[in-house]
Amino acid sequence: MQSYASKLIDLIESKAEGIAKQWAADVMKHERTPSYHSLSKDMVIEQGIDFYKLFRRISLAENSYEEAKTFSWKYAEDFYRKKIPLHEAIYALILMRRNLWLYAEFQGTFVTALEKQQAVESLNRTILMFDYVSYQIIEKYQELIIGSVERRLGAIKTLMMKGQIGGKGSTYKVGLMTIFLLVACILTFYCHATLGTGIIFTHLFYIPIILASIWWGKKGIFAAIFLGVLILTSHALFLKALPFVDDIIRAIMFVLIGGVIGWLMEGIKKVEELY
Amino acid sequence: MAIALYDYSRKRVTMKAFTSKLVDLTQKNAEAIALQWAKDVKTNAKTYTYHEASDDKIIHQAKDFYNNFQMMFLNESPYEQAEEIFEKYAEERYREGIPLHEALYALILMRRHMWLYAEFQAMFNAELEHRQAVGSLSRTILMFDYIIYVVARKFWKLMKLELLAIKKRSN
Repeated sequence: MQSYASKLIDLIESKAEGIAKQWAADVMKHERTPSYHSLSKDMVIEQGIDFYKLFRRISLAENSYEEAKTFSWKYAEDFYRKKIPLHEAIYALILMRRNLWLYAEFQGTFVTALEKQQAVESLNRTILMFDYVSYQIIEKYQELIIGSVERRLGAIKTLMMKGQIGGKGSTYKVGLMTIFLLVACILTFYCHATLGTGIIFTHLFYIPIILASIWWGKKGIFAAIFLGVLILTSHALFLKALPFVDDIIRAIMFVLIGGVIGWLMEGIKKVEELY
Repeated sequence: MAIALYDYSRKRVTMKAFTSKLVDLTQKNAEAIALQWAKDVKTNAKTYTYHEASDDKIIHQAKDFYNNFQMMFLNESPYEQAEEIFEKYAEERYREGIPLHEALYALILMRRHMWLYAEFQAMFNAELEHRQAVGSLSRTILMFDYIIYVVARKFWKLMKLELLAIKKRSN
């Protein structure tokens, strides 16, 4: 079995450059791989040679699946960085296999009946190797996409406090929010009832409003509503002499900011779920 | 000239008959092959998401696939047919939350089980049949190449669409 397959492997290894050139010419004009059309020809040929030369090592390795990663991961990283869509990267790989086979056919490698039997064995072995490589490339691509999404969401994820304190993040958030709201109540009472002023302490309220929306999405708006109602009630009780307009505007702004951030956070959570 | 044309078309018909032997066998035994595939996909480490799926659901999925595959195999324009059938297949898997690498590996296993079944039935044993086997195998691989490309492209599109919708909302 191995000797059958090795006939094809020998051919691939000795003619790696020729097959890679054919593949490059094909992939750089094929309608299903348009993103390759503008790449440097040398770089594409080099990728082809890399693979065809590695093919023996992958095919004859004890653990072909693990060995295939030496090629697949580099291939995926190179083409992901060049912004090649996944389906095109996969189709280029398909063309790589097809060119390999076409070359063998063209060279009349498998002509007699016995050779046809060898051809079936070779073909099966080649397909298996390419199946491994395709799977690994797709997996790597997804890993790279997730990595880039996570990097972009890094700061927000820290604020979201996922899995904090042994997975008790939710209790921790509720506790922290209760403290924030309690401090807000005390501060409002102190400023309105004791100092008798509506100075700009309410800017501090944006901290719990933003955090609540980040943590609980649209439901976080309840923190904003609570704080809005708080300043309006407190104003009605302790600042009867001062005009209401400023605090009404502040309350509206709380709800607006809380709502918008909560809405945006729902979108970010969806991206997270997606990847 | 007329003889040459007759010879060419006869060759094509014979070739098609050879290559369709595998696909005919698959279609006739779709249920048995689907069962074998389901057993494999539910235990394979590379198709983890399928492990919890209901047997009936995935067997039905595989049977559908093999029936559609025959239609595509015998079609004059298989690529167009693949687009028509397998974009829907990809969309269904995407909505089910199957990751692309697993969805494609499940397809690879479908192809492998077609071939394993044919081998098990000793379908290509005689010398002449080895020639047919190469033809069958090559055509089957070509069809799967189309399917894999169409499925990967559809997944990519759906992922991009979802991201775009989110970006739009953010702006």
